[in-house]
Amino acid sequence: MTAGVLPVWWDDAADGPTNMAADELLAEEADRRGGPVIRLYSWTEPTVSLGGFQRLVEAESCAAISGLPIVRRPSGGGAIIHGTDLTYAAAVPKSHPWGGTPQTLYDVMHEAMVAVLGELRFDARLHVPSAADPSADALLCFSRRSPGDVVIRRPGGPAMPTDPKVMGSAQRRLGTTVLQHGSLLLATCLGVGGEARHEGLRELAGPPADWTARSLADRWTARVAEAVEIVREVQPATFTGGHLPEVAARALRFRDPRWTSRR
Amino acid sequence: MAEMKFAKSHEWVRPEAGGLATVGISKYAVEALTDLVFMQLPPVGRKVKAGESLGEIESVKAVSDIYAPVSGEIVEVNSALPNQLDTLGADPYGAGWIVRIKPDDPAELAGLLDQTAYDALVKS
Repeated sequence: MTAGVLPVWWDDAADGPTNMAADELLAEEADRRGGPVIRLYSWTEPTVSLGGFQRLVEAESCAAISGLPIVRRPSGGGAIIHGTDLTYAAAVPKSHPWGGTPQTLYDVMHEAMVAVLGELRFDARLHVPSAADPSADALLCFSRRSPGDVVIRRPGGPAMPTDPKVMGSAQRRLGTTVLQHGSLLLATCLGVGGEARHEGLRELAGPPADWTARSLADRWTARVAEAVEIVREVQPATFTGGHLPEVAARALRFRDPRWTSRR
Repeated sequence: MAEMKFAKSHEWVRPEAGGLATVGISKYAVEALTDLVFMQLPPVGRKVKAGESLGEIESVKAVSDIYAPVSGEIVEVNSALPNQLDTLGADPYGAGWIVRIKPDDPAELAGLLDQTAYDALVKS
């Protein structure tokens, strides 16, 4: 039992199936440790991750993301274009205070990010639903709004219900654990068409602030650990590197077209 | 009506006439998931073990497995449900039933929670 610490792994860039396989194993790690765990990672090439039950045909017919590799996540939510984002997976046993309802873990991660973005002089807040919200079934995660998404007021402008979303998360609720995927949009992804070009932190920055993806994430995971008064432990090795055979074996399922086209 | 039992994973099961058992998910689980958007049911004829996933349900932010509370063969599914997900919230113990199972061992029901124990679980 190592529930008194929050292990954080920084992983090397990997392809979609490898990242999804590593995250499934991360959920088992949370179960084994009896407490929360976080993995931060990036992608070897711009990739679309599709929500657990989104229609593949809808993604394939979206001209804005045409040609990008697609991987289906085990978690829900909308499609994310990875490449200029910071991606995380957090896992926690259902018996943990964060594992009760879906919104609990969602809020823990997002409230900590709002606090960190505030330190970096972004005017960030959790989204409150309004009549101006776009359709909840839009293909792309950053085109949707859900309660608790992290949104940012544009520099120099008033706070608007339509302020851009910079962070969203979604879950897979397994037998004894919860796996949460999330994405913080660091900058606009320029390799996609117009409707998929969402503003990221770089475009929404007001006064210059000294931050990198790494420094921002370090502050964020420290905040998350503080929320339950546990000690964050940044791991010296990568999570995937420590589980290479298992990740490679499990990645086969995420490479299988039957998984990707399950809906 | 026979007593309804609950799994810790929030499925309910009710023995029916003819030795079948009807399965659904509890009101607590439906409310915790919020805003259901999709459901995948198993095929009729599939054999499941207790604790094994028999289907999946997606809310706006989460995909969850639905676990078999008892082992047996799925003999009927509520095929109208995926197109009427509101029914799960409106009548989770009636019209919101999900599958009917022919249990391998009816004695398995004894190992599940009764209403009082389940209520205590969700309050803890």
